[in-house]
Amino acid sequence: MDRKMETTDNTLAAECRTGNAMKFRVLVERYKKPAYFFALGMVGNPDDAYDLSQEAFVKAYRSLDRFDENLSFKSWLFTILSNLCKNALRSASVRKKYIASDKTLEEAAAPSETNPEVSYIAKETKKMVWDALAELDNEAKEIIILKHFQDMSYQEIAEVLDIPLGSVMSRLHYARQKLKKRLEGMQR
Amino acid sequence: MNCQQAIIYISGRLDRELTPEQERELDLHLQSCPVCSKEYQEMLKIKEVTTDMRFTDLPDRFWASYWNGIYNRLERGIGWMLLSVGAIVLLAFGAWELLNNFFLDETVSFVLRLGVGAGLLGVITSLVSVLRERLFARKHERYEEVER
Repeated sequence: MDRKMETTDNTLAAECRTGNAMKFRVLVERYKKPAYFFALGMVGNPDDAYDLSQEAFVKAYRSLDRFDENLSFKSWLFTILSNLCKNALRSASVRKKYIASDKTLEEAAAPSETNPEVSYIAKETKKMVWDALAELDNEAKEIIILKHFQDMSYQEIAEVLDIPLGSVMSRLHYARQKLKKRLEGMQR
Repeated sequence: MNCQQAIIYISGRLDRELTPEQERELDLHLQSCPVCSKEYQEMLKIKEVTTDMRFTDLPDRFWASYWNGIYNRLERGIGWMLLSVGAIVLLAFGAWELLNNFFLDETVSFVLRLGVGAGLLGVITSLVSVLRERLFARKHERYEEVER
């Protein structure tokens, strides 16, 4: 995320705080898709992901007074969303839906190949990675989604997870190791 | 550089987050350590298989109604807040009136006041008990660890 965009986000947030609530819609339009896709990766089913991402915006709007303007709005929003997803995952109903919805996840992965055989193998590999991702603990899953699916920088991840920059590299490494072990386990 | 530091730097290299100095240190280590070199190759594969993965977009109608969903939630939140404030004010007023005009009214029979008071206390106690039980059940689901 470039500095200009970040400044604009924070300016919009500041305008919302001074009573121009409709400016919040601009922020929603800007981040609704990243928020939804992050939640989908975390909880694994579209209904809950849609619901949780909307709830995160509602919480963000209600807490705008507490928003630290030294951070980026995006990082702050993702911190709220990440906490909501982790709370939801503690509920048995959401966990069950993740297990039952691997088809949804499989369909959600975009096939990029036109050759049927290559496409089939790519699809199977993707399915396996999705299954492995679903089995990871929340901490590992969260950091892999932030890096691989949101394409966040280490600085942004450090802000979202509220951890030192140096810890991002090591946490990401251990998360990838866990993913690798899961994949090895599935291939046996 | 030791192996422990190297395996963490491997992630940094995959994500292009290392400084040139760190890159050089890692290169030197990988040239002399077959274990870390193998780890690097394996992590490279993990990075490759996850790089392509993207979610397909939802149909436009979902995104068109997204803001409305948030707006409705915010509106309902204000509605609930006003409703709660109104209910608290009315309940407080009702309790105050009941106390002054019924429980402290000596023209009303003591037995009646005692009966109504005990009944009210019973209702309140039962309500609190049910609420507490619901709250506990939500936090500790009895069968949450049972695999089906």
